[in-house]
Amino acid sequence: MSAPTAPTEDRASSAPPRGTKLSPGRSKRVPLSAIARRRSLTGWTFLIPAAALIVLVNFWPMIQALFLSLQTGRGTRLTWAEPLWLNYQRLFEDETFRLTLSTTFIYLIIQVPIMLAIAMVLANLLNAPWLRFKGFWRTAIFLPCAVGLVSYALVFRQIFATDGLANDLLIKFGLLDDNVNWLGQTGTARMVIILGLLWRWTGYNMIFFLAALQNIDRSTLEAARVDGANGFKTFWYVTMPQLKPIILLCAILSTNGTLQMFDESYNLTNGGPGNTTMTVSHYLYNVSFRNSPNFGYAAAISYAILIIVAILAAIQLKVGDKRD
Amino acid sequence: MKKTRTLGALGAVLSLSLALAACSGGGGGDDDSTDASGGTGDNTLTVWAWDPAFNIYALEEAEKVFQADNPDFKLEIVETPWEDVQTKLTTLAQSGETDQLPDIFLMQNNAFQKNVINYPDIFADFADSDVDFSEFPESVVAYSTYEDVNYGVPFDNGTAIGAYRTDILEQAGYTVDDFTDITWDEFLTIGKDVLAKTGKPMLTGQAGSADTIMMMLQSAGASLFDDEGKPTITDNEALLAAIDMYGQMVEAGVFVEVNSWDEYINTIVNSNTAGVVNGVWISGSIQSAADQSGKWAVTNVPKLDGVDGATNYTANGGSSWAITPNGNEALASDFLNATFAGSTEFYDTILPASGALANWLPAGESDVYSEPQEFFGGQPIYADVLTFAAEVPSNNTGAYYYEGRDAVSVAITNIFNGTDPQAALEEAQATVEFAMG
Repeated sequence: MSAPTAPTEDRASSAPPRGTKLSPGRSKRVPLSAIARRRSLTGWTFLIPAAALIVLVNFWPMIQALFLSLQTGRGTRLTWAEPLWLNYQRLFEDETFRLTLSTTFIYLIIQVPIMLAIAMVLANLLNAPWLRFKGFWRTAIFLPCAVGLVSYALVFRQIFATDGLANDLLIKFGLLDDNVNWLGQTGTARMVIILGLLWRWTGYNMIFFLAALQNIDRSTLEAARVDGANGFKTFWYVTMPQLKPIILLCAILSTNGTLQMFDESYNLTNGGPGNTTMTVSHYLYNVSFRNSPNFGYAAAISYAILIIVAILAAIQLKVGDKRD
Repeated sequence: MKKTRTLGALGAVLSLSLALAACSGGGGGDDDSTDASGGTGDNTLTVWAWDPAFNIYALEEAEKVFQADNPDFKLEIVETPWEDVQTKLTTLAQSGETDQLPDIFLMQNNAFQKNVINYPDIFADFADSDVDFSEFPESVVAYSTYEDVNYGVPFDNGTAIGAYRTDILEQAGYTVDDFTDITWDEFLTIGKDVLAKTGKPMLTGQAGSADTIMMMLQSAGASLFDDEGKPTITDNEALLAAIDMYGQMVEAGVFVEVNSWDEYINTIVNSNTAGVVNGVWISGSIQSAADQSGKWAVTNVPKLDGVDGATNYTANGGSSWAITPNGNEALASDFLNATFAGSTEFYDTILPASGALANWLPAGESDVYSEPQEFFGGQPIYADVLTFAAEVPSNNTGAYYYEGRDAVSVAITNIFNGTDPQAALEEAQATVEFAMG
């Protein structure tokens, strides 16, 4: 959800400065000149179609979903719930929802920090001046992002099948004595999903870090070196603080992405064994399309995800953004 | 200044038209497949089905048969995987866009009740048609019958078969006759012996899938729901017996669980199992291993011990044709009546080519059905299976079949991980009751 909103923010924040830049020397209270007003109008004209479309195809359905979440019934026979928040109340009694939510949080808590740490290390390595074949490494690490979610999930399922590549290799190298049923046990199945996520998304986050690293003013690093800071200290006290906004962005994007994760759960493990690898979004899909369709409740689940994402993003902003 | 204004206006128009173009582009793509469904041509029917080698092939043959009397007739077949059929139907029904529906669509038997009950608007019934439903097995017609009204013409046959590798059985000193009309207890005893002598399990299956359990249940005419649609997962004698037997087989290694469908098919193709118990459609996968020709034999399935109404016959899967109220119902039902529910010639064509076994009983009298099948050691398996089909007990799927089935799958996983069966089934019952609430 934050992906579509991010560009709007960019546009919204970049439009006013352009307007102000065009009227230098004027105090803010003085009305804009005719030219400036017309230019600002031009900006808004460019903005309105996109904004209108976003409202129409994004925000309006969200409002409709809110109304839907207050209704109950199967299929098309929907009626207003009694009480209105019935579906939300239902969430708290739903064992399956609780299970899928805790599973999703396990993915989140384990996967996101590991992924961001690895991405940071890789980005720094790729940014190192002594590294050769940079283009090759960069492409190689980013390439998984170009792979379709479904196809990579299916490949991972093949690799971790009982008679799959993972078992063959591990036995060959003497790390295992016998075939492990990776996808048949809760712990290992969750681990495989986390591995898959790491493989698929680390490169994506690395690119963000790399871009930010390349924007860092060289002189700050040189100044640190002149002051006698070693490599780690330079990284920790000079580089990291300058990367903070981008780390924050990646953390929020990843949190959001993990909470809405569907493909891996659906294609890699199909929620099994015993629903213990199922994510909230997968459960939402089942409630809508596999089971006897209960769209009111499904909408309530999607709003629960939205609220959780919003709360986590707010916390991350609060904790991470201490610029002022 | 004028230039600025022109540029501004141009920009606005451009971005707007781009956005609109994107919209209409997306919509247009969809329209291609659905336009015809609105009933553009009087003699054209749009159909959704999913398997080019199987049900789509059958449709194409049916089209030819019907064209003999109706030269103008045309079918527009849209290949749509089953999961997409379900998603599309749900979305269209939910949004009320029923004019986007095809004229005919294929539906899994297990999902039929759920859709008819929840979305009666997308189905036209066969009350005014000439289709004679008494020419189909009762248990199959029951899937698509709701409140005594027929909503579907049964297509492929889901009758369960026990298919066994005669060469492996021979090594252990058995023949397929030892597996005919037996109970699951006897099956387990023989299976342990076969395993000890050949190292091969008797059966394989997908872990966490309730397929085998559901087949055992139906073989005793039992289901997870009573006649009023209430879940009967606890205090279900047949279910307990089925889970117990399944557990014993897995523990003994007679039944080996794998994780995915591909792995399951591989166990068959790679000779890692001495047998298969599944719907007759599995014979297509069995026959994909050409080197195993002549080494298979087919018989009925084992029955549960000590359960009332237990039989050696059951079913898994199968699908039926449904028609939609889009103005072409009459033509659609005529088409189905003249082909899937009325043409021996048609079934004679599709059976040898695609293994699509008819549910339509008169087709079984045809010679094609009694031809010996070389792959199965010269056994006329299709004629045999049709005799099984007539014996399959009917069971009630209800609108909450998938909820029930998934809850039982979870319960089985938990039982294998050490949960007490009674407790696990009570939890499953609670889950289904919650989902229905």
